[in-house]
Amino acid sequence: MAETAADTPMGHGYEFDLVVIGGGSGGLACSKEAAKLGAKVACLDFVTPSPQGNVWGLGGTCVNVGCIPKKLMHNAGILGESFSDAREFGWKVNNEGHDWAKMVEQIQNYIGSLNWGYRVALRDNNVEYINAKGAFEDAHTIVCTKKNGKTRTITADKVVIAVGGRPKYLGVEGDKECCITSDDVFSLPKAPGKTLCVGASYISLETAGLLSALGYEVSVLVRSVFLRGFDSEMAEKIVGHMESHGVRMIRSSVPTKFEKDGDKTKVTIKNSDFGNEIVEEYDTVVIAVGRDPCTGDLGLEKAGVVPHKSGKFEAKDEQTNVPNIYAVGDVLEQRQELTPVAIQAGQLLARRLYAGATASMDYDLVPTTVFTPLEYGCVGMSEELAAETYGADNTEAYISFFKPLEWQLNHEEHNGVPVRGDNSCYLKLITNTADSERVVGLHYLGPNAGEVVQGYAVAMKCGATKAQFDTTVGIHPTVSEEFTILSVTKRSGVDAQKKGC
Amino acid sequence: MGNKNAKPSPYDYDLVTIGGGSGGVRASRLAAADGKKVAIIELPFDPVSSESTGGFGGTCVIRGCVPKKLFVYGSHFHEEFEDAEGFGWNIHTPPKFNWQHLMAQKTKEITRLNGIYAKMLNNAGAEIFEGRGKLIDAHTVEVTDAAGHKTLLKTANTCIATGGYAFKLPIPGAELGITSDEALTLPDLPRKVCIIGGGYIAVEFAGIFNGLGAEVHLVFRQELPLRGFDEDVRAAVNENLIKRGIIVHPKCNPKSLAEASAGTITVETDSGQLTVNTVMFATGRKPNISRPDLGLSEVGVELDHGAIKVDAFSRTNVNGVWAIGDVTNRVNLTPVALMEGAAMMASAMKGRMTKPDYQYIPSAVFCQPPVASCGLSEQEAVSNGHTCDVYLASFR
Repeated sequence: MAETAADTPMGHGYEFDLVVIGGGSGGLACSKEAAKLGAKVACLDFVTPSPQGNVWGLGGTCVNVGCIPKKLMHNAGILGESFSDAREFGWKVNNEGHDWAKMVEQIQNYIGSLNWGYRVALRDNNVEYINAKGAFEDAHTIVCTKKNGKTRTITADKVVIAVGGRPKYLGVEGDKECCITSDDVFSLPKAPGKTLCVGASYISLETAGLLSALGYEVSVLVRSVFLRGFDSEMAEKIVGHMESHGVRMIRSSVPTKFEKDGDKTKVTIKNSDFGNEIVEEYDTVVIAVGRDPCTGDLGLEKAGVVPHKSGKFEAKDEQTNVPNIYAVGDVLEQRQELTPVAIQAGQLLARRLYAGATASMDYDLVPTTVFTPLEYGCVGMSEELAAETYGADNTEAYISFFKPLEWQLNHEEHNGVPVRGDNSCYLKLITNTADSERVVGLHYLGPNAGEVVQGYAVAMKCGATKAQFDTTVGIHPTVSEEFTILSVTKRSGVDAQKKGC
Repeated sequence: MGNKNAKPSPYDYDLVTIGGGSGGVRASRLAAADGKKVAIIELPFDPVSSESTGGFGGTCVIRGCVPKKLFVYGSHFHEEFEDAEGFGWNIHTPPKFNWQHLMAQKTKEITRLNGIYAKMLNNAGAEIFEGRGKLIDAHTVEVTDAAGHKTLLKTANTCIATGGYAFKLPIPGAELGITSDEALTLPDLPRKVCIIGGGYIAVEFAGIFNGLGAEVHLVFRQELPLRGFDEDVRAAVNENLIKRGIIVHPKCNPKSLAEASAGTITVETDSGQLTVNTVMFATGRKPNISRPDLGLSEVGVELDHGAIKVDAFSRTNVNGVWAIGDVTNRVNLTPVALMEGAAMMASAMKGRMTKPDYQYIPSAVFCQPPVASCGLSEQEAVSNGHTCDVYLASFR
């Protein structure tokens, strides 16, 4: 239904007050909020097929090929792990295997309902949804190209770029033909079989972890450091846990060639330390070496928008160099690529634009969780960053090893390794002793990490100190209460491993 | 150990603690680790408590928080299996549950923890006495061991931390019913259970028995369970109990119990009759002030509604006699007893008068799904005179 270019209530003469390019977490949040505040909004969303041919509906990365299906598959994995606990609790349960196709069907059906829900939400909020790829003609004009090639030109007083990102490829021979990415994993029709995950990112490790928990033979190919940017001690523990539970880590190596061999893929792997090459065969290869922003074909030059060399935007308060053009979400340079960040930033931006609000997005103290089978949640600084920022002498790290009560009964072993090892979980609190022992970093490796850590983010935003953590009464018996009884510091050298209750 | 220039003490001990549960062990361990001469008295270990049995670790470790949580977790698996099927796992044979296996594992775990408590106290330098403790005067505690031998301990301070016990309604036939103590040691899962009570212990055990496959009837006097909790929470818990197949009998008063045929009990209520295999009373817990006799009345320690009366520093009216934990009936939670124990130790042993802080104590009820809360209920906030906004979310 074409809208005529009539004067909008805001009197600027453009067809829309706001056009948001991108219907993901940030784009949808910004669109809905702006519309609620009275703006006439259009939201463009379009998915370029992955090299393997996959596309998806409205909602962006999170809903379709990110957070949501990832967490569901991760949950499938840990449900499988729980059968071991169940047996030790007296249940006679035999794992008769996992039906990959059934899981994918259930997950895709659920995602479909979310796509539908988002379309309804946009309609209910009077946001016009345009399923087309947007590109700038000039700073106020956007050409929308549909899948069938038809175009429509719209004009906007303000534009928000929220196009997100897509998985990077390595530019290695055969990668696009032979390999898949997170764009494809969650809708894979057939079971992945023996899988190689290329990359040291959280996406690579989460994928490797869930596939391993579902029963597949998994290897991870890593060029150098695991989980760059995360606390290195925590990264080491995550990897150590995965490795002792059957995920093979191929370190200091890069893939140099991919070739099809019938149904399988042959991977040539070169070790950077020794220079030798080996060839291995896998049923599935997943590339997870990072994500690129989708800004290359937006026609930015025509709008006068200048991106950073990364393709992302350096945009303080989400403002690009062009006064009427903004950016939100994964396209922002040096900002966390997380759904709740994009949502909050999008909403605050809409309020600044249309409600006269002044509040800026606070990108500090954003909690996050890595959903490897043994989950990792964190808020604030890594130990290294804290030492660098406040000085090693002013930084204290309180540590504790533990095992949840619920795991205490499980004495099963797989391949000689305890399924629920003593001291397999770990947490640490990092404080700044030069500032009333303020808690500047909180790290937790254990079950339900996201649930455990969320509340502490609120405490840290309130400036909680170690003393406040100590005087908070714990909830018993839980694992979270460990944060209220920390006493062993790394500096003391005392062994923080638990020998008892 | 100790200051050589200090006046020699007329007492053998700085602190004698009667009761080795959460509060008692915390206070004693901290004092001993600080170099004080500490003795701690506790009854011999048994999963079921009585006038002559208890065990280090107390209610929490042996017959409370720990075994409860293990059983809640164990009973929850049938839901996990249903979820797992939805996630693609093939569990063609419906998993069967073996009660004896879980019971044996639970007993092994609480026995292990009980042993660790004793070791922890020894390592800290506290002296352990197994037996009954009784105040002879404010500075003398008499220990009676299993053989009946008595030892007198002369002490500067005494801390009473004897906890509480499960109480049955005094109705005819009450002896046919069990409490949580016995519920956690039953030889087999009862087919039909009647739980009398609407508090957290009642709803937690309702969830446990129901999850493991028993038919559960929950009988309580109020309209909703969990009196004292936020009204929205109570309503949600009630709805969830019913949704999960627990048969709820609100506004129902049990009148008597009688043995029907072998292995069954008939419960007469003011609205009808129930015939079940097991009746569990979850009708409250009372402070252990005379189980066994602590010598409180002889020494003149004041009580308040059946609990030991203490001030904000956990002092009783008798100089040198302190009391912490469930026996003082303040906030009956392990982490609170730990807090009271640490504060009491600082006040009594370090001369640093410390009040436990009861504000914003978080707690959880492990019904299914569980409840957690912190701070005021809506009703409390309103009756405290606050003007409130209430934000609600219902989710799956």
